[in-house]
Amino acid sequence: MGPEAAKKNWVGKPLPRKEEDRLLRGRGKFADDIKLREMLYLRFVRSPYAHAKIVSVDVSAAEALPGVVATLTGAELAPQVQPFIEIAPDPGGKIKDYALAVSKVRYQGEPVAAVVAESPSLADDAAELIQVEYEALDPVIDGEEALKDASILHEEAGTNRVWRGVFEYGDADKALKEAAYVVNIDRMHFHRFSSTPLENNVVIAQWDPKDERIYYQCNNSFPSFAIQFLAAHLQVHIDRIRVQTSDIGGSFGIKITTYPQMAVCAMASKKAGGRPVKWVETRSEHMTSSAHGNERTFRDTRVALDKNGVITAIVSRHIDDCGAYPRYEPLGCVIWSQVFPGVYRFKNARIDFSQAVTNKCPVGPNRGYSRMQHLWFLERVVDICAHELGIPPDEMRLRNYIRPEEFPYTTPNGCVYDSGDYPKMLQVAKGLIGWDDWKKKQAEARKQGRVIGIGIGTTLDSGTNNFGQSQIVNPGAPFSGNSQGANCKLDIYGEVVVAVGSCPQGQGHETTAAQVVADVLNIHPDLITVRTGFDTERNVHTGFSGTYASQFAVSGLSAVHGAAQKLKAEMKRLASSVLNTKEDDLEFGAGAQGPEVRARSTGKSINYWGLANIVNVNSAVLPVEMHDVTLNCRYIWRAPFKVPDTVKKYGSLTLTYASQLHIAVLEIDRETFIPRILDYVAVDDCGTVINPGIVEGQVYGATAHGIGAALMETCVYDAVGNMLTSTFSDYTPITAMNMPKVKYGHTETPSPHSYSGAKGMGEGGAAPIHTVSAALQDALFADGIFIDDSFNNADSLFRAMVGKEISQAKQLVRVERRT
Amino acid sequence: MYPRAFHYHRAGSLTEAVTMLSQLGDDAKLLAGGQSLIPLMKLRFANPGHLVDLNFISGTSYIQEEDGGLRFGALTRHAEIADSALAAKIPIVHDCAAGIADVQVRNRGTIGGSLAEADPSGDWAVVLMTLATEVRCLGTNGERTVPLAGFVKDAYTTALAHDELVSEVRVKIPAKGSGGAYIAFKRSAPVYPTASAAVQLTMDGDVCKDAAIVLGCVGLTAIKVTDAEVALRGHSFTDKAIKAAMEAASAAADPQSDMRGSADYKRTLVGALVKRAIEAASHRARGEQVEVSHIYA
Ligand SMILES: Cc1cc2nc3c(=O)[nH]c(=O)nc-3n(C[C@H](O)[C@H](O)[C@H](O)COP(=O)(O)OP(=O)(O)OC[C@H]3O[C@@H](n4cnc5c(N)ncnc54)[C@H](O)[C@@H]3O)c2cc1C
Repeated sequence: MGPEAAKKNWVGKPLPRKEEDRLLRGRGKFADDIKLREMLYLRFVRSPYAHAKIVSVDVSAAEALPGVVATLTGAELAPQVQPFIEIAPDPGGKIKDYALAVSKVRYQGEPVAAVVAESPSLADDAAELIQVEYEALDPVIDGEEALKDASILHEEAGTNRVWRGVFEYGDADKALKEAAYVVNIDRMHFHRFSSTPLENNVVIAQWDPKDERIYYQCNNSFPSFAIQFLAAHLQVHIDRIRVQTSDIGGSFGIKITTYPQMAVCAMASKKAGGRPVKWVETRSEHMTSSAHGNERTFRDTRVALDKNGVITAIVSRHIDDCGAYPRYEPLGCVIWSQVFPGVYRFKNARIDFSQAVTNKCPVGPNRGYSRMQHLWFLERVVDICAHELGIPPDEMRLRNYIRPEEFPYTTPNGCVYDSGDYPKMLQVAKGLIGWDDWKKKQAEARKQGRVIGIGIGTTLDSGTNNFGQSQIVNPGAPFSGNSQGANCKLDIYGEVVVAVGSCPQGQGHETTAAQVVADVLNIHPDLITVRTGFDTERNVHTGFSGTYASQFAVSGLSAVHGAAQKLKAEMKRLASSVLNTKEDDLEFGAGAQGPEVRARSTGKSINYWGLANIVNVNSAVLPVEMHDVTLNCRYIWRAPFKVPDTVKKYGSLTLTYASQLHIAVLEIDRETFIPRILDYVAVDDCGTVINPGIVEGQVYGATAHGIGAALMETCVYDAVGNMLTSTFSDYTPITAMNMPKVKYGHTETPSPHSYSGAKGMGEGGAAPIHTVSAALQDALFADGIFIDDSFNNADSLFRAMVGKEISQAKQLVRVERRT
Repeated sequence: MYPRAFHYHRAGSLTEAVTMLSQLGDDAKLLAGGQSLIPLMKLRFANPGHLVDLNFISGTSYIQEEDGGLRFGALTRHAEIADSALAAKIPIVHDCAAGIADVQVRNRGTIGGSLAEADPSGDWAVVLMTLATEVRCLGTNGERTVPLAGFVKDAYTTALAHDELVSEVRVKIPAKGSGGAYIAFKRSAPVYPTASAAVQLTMDGDVCKDAAIVLGCVGLTAIKVTDAEVALRGHSFTDKAIKAAMEAASAAADPQSDMRGSADYKRTLVGALVKRAIEAASHRARGEQVEVSHIYA
């Protein structure tokens, strides 16, 4: 057996995570673990009103409290900064967004003032002493209501409709005219929920008066984006902002939009003479005022179908509610179109998409960001149409799925689905759950008056964005493509050190990056140190670095792979000179003195220490023609994207499309109305798997998040904009006790779009939300109840089934039969 | 998330704690498990100037059997009760202790603190109302015994004077032939129930000799449903009798609409919980071992 054949492939192995030892022993280093000399603590004073004018802010009593170092108000801050960049074009672009409210407040929990003091409890004491006088305004709580502009949030914009665009492909009107059936659905609603990372937001900021630099230690999950917003806002050179992240206790996208809090901490540090300022968000702050997921209403949907139940067109009006400030939005207004037709083949569609501001917490990317709302909509459409046409839901899907032989598949809006096999996933999932058995049991149970439903959810997790899609929202946006950086080096003693521009929050980047490099150099992953956590000064980041949007397996690991290849090429050049042999005579592996490069012909070798020594500390022996060898290789990977056609809203928006197929069997108790999952299968296809253990873990996490969202977690506001779910007692995030046993299945269609065949998969498409809705729907069709909301719990099921208050199909669904 | 400044006092005995309360006045509060008080202080909804800590007093955490009854020291933690074989002699007491919140809360929270807090959603009062329960109260003038029904006056209000504390809880062990069960619906473990039902039945063959039925979380205090008890007493458990008990429970409930559910839903739910608790209690009354667990979303 030759040495190449003996080579171990680390990619694909369920290698235990390198970071586990540290994290499970409580030795992780999180932002709040950092204590600095002379550190001050910041507390926000927040609005109790959803919509109000600020009449006055009196900080005098707070400033008089011993131990208080400074206070800040919106009025004081505004003249010193630029309003935050708006990604939206006008009218949304006219919005003036400051980190502290200036003349009015627009959601309950909005920061109005800040105070910094010598201790956290003193800061709390001082915050209580800040007197704010408000004059209440009419709150706007519902997205559709907001579009009527009866009460305007942002006078500068003149309207609550901050963005509108019509996404039209094919000829939907013709398809509707020629259809055998047209199904009309009045209204559906995707609810507002969030992620509840174990670790809340944390910012430490130091505005160093000596060199006018700002040093952040924080847990923002997209720092390269944050610094672009901060530099413009604070009017400092971007290279004067250092952002460093360490371990992060979960983000799920929600930690992308913390730049306003970061701005306040920097300004507070500046006012406090450069002392470091720490802000640690409380759970209630997190629930009321970090970021929520997008809420969306689907109106006036018309679905055209042929006589076989094949969908030929969908026309609909979608209203996205982004809360009080668009911030990262309106990117969500286009991001959903990455999965425009979902997993289905229909070619004609017209979606009239608007985004409204309301007096609620601003939204931010939330696992499944903007696509899950749309995918849920499509899955509801498919199930309702199937039911109206009398086609079983599995059969309906098979008739409408994009077929395996059609990949790579170009969608009506120009996205290219790289690979997939949805019928096979359905088959695997049905096998795992015992579909036929459950169908029988369901029929028997029905006879006994029990209410059981079986539902399928098929979803996509589109990964590695083409940021050019921002130009569909705003043709002036200066972003396109996608890139990621990595650095791979031999350190002075020959240690292999990899640095990436990501800031993982549990995704195991240290492990997967080590697996990739281990295969390139043919050494054990334990010999590779991976530096994760963002650091502007490590110089491996690009403008897209961070951890978000299901992409590390593609963008991050492609960069790591590129850097490792570059390093390997340099090592080869150097070794061939030292060992006096041709490069193709060299092989990489482990020797008696650690990892080495060997000449096959002579058996002579040089270990990594030897190579690093020549370059770093014994450089007089380095041949002149090798002076460009650094053994310190930076590689920037760029995604092969073009700028989309912004007029036609057409182009490739994401590189890879992982798919998920879940099936749930669920029973609604006739007496308590508590829905209980009896059986659950999650089948995942994310192309070539780099680490099966990590993938499986991500699937379980995403499944829990989705089941929680479907049955337990919702952000509720009352009619005047009080948030009623600001604590865990009210929001009830899912716990292990609420989880059914999940059967995990796996199929694999390698992506032709990534070097390894892998696809991003961290978001998971929110498959459980679609699946649970489908199962509830299956259970309740017979009762004339229509699952028109993505959130359902015992109470809402009771109100639908007994109270007949909500979700009555007769009022919501109408079918035109033309045959 | 930090309480206002307060003075901390560590009591060496219950008597000393009472003395401290009377000397420090209205601004002083006892600290037991802190699982109700500390969250309120962190939210600054409660701002006591003085805390008198009971946690370092020895001999306040115990479970003892005496004269056909169980005596629980005021500082006995929910977890200790859940783990106690002695307490399991009254299965409904075990159901209650084991089902409160999560491990962290059970490890800290105490039976005395729970009764003294008189939270409308608290579990202990609901369960103990189905049994003959007395609360021993220690004040500057010595100790007195208050039957539980007279101890809880209203939401967050008890018969305790300001300088009085709960020293012990005494529960009579139900006679043979009696069995009880406590079932709550909880949206997740670490939250208070949406509604709950405690049922203690005494059976004579198939006939119910006596019944105590108490509802939780559907009123300002635990609600004893006399009509439901009457519906069962002297009857065997026909569908009709059970339906009558469920309906009586729904009628007696006086819930509020909140994030846990609408008032209408809670009324229906509590009826269903009563039905399930009756079923489990009747098995236990017949001497069968039945595991009872809350229902979680
Ligand atoms: C997340 C969470 C979930 C919970 N869920 C539940 C639940 O599902 N069901 C449930 O029943 N409870 C629940 N609880 C409350 C828990 O049971 C508390 O432990 C209990 O209500 C109070 O007991 P404590 O010992 O912690 O009292 P503390 O919080 O220390 O005190 C509560 C009050 O009683 C007073 N007090 C304490 N001890 C005495 C005494 N011996 N004599 C007189 N006054 C006294 C204190 O001064 C204070 O006013 C929950 C608590 C939390 C934090």
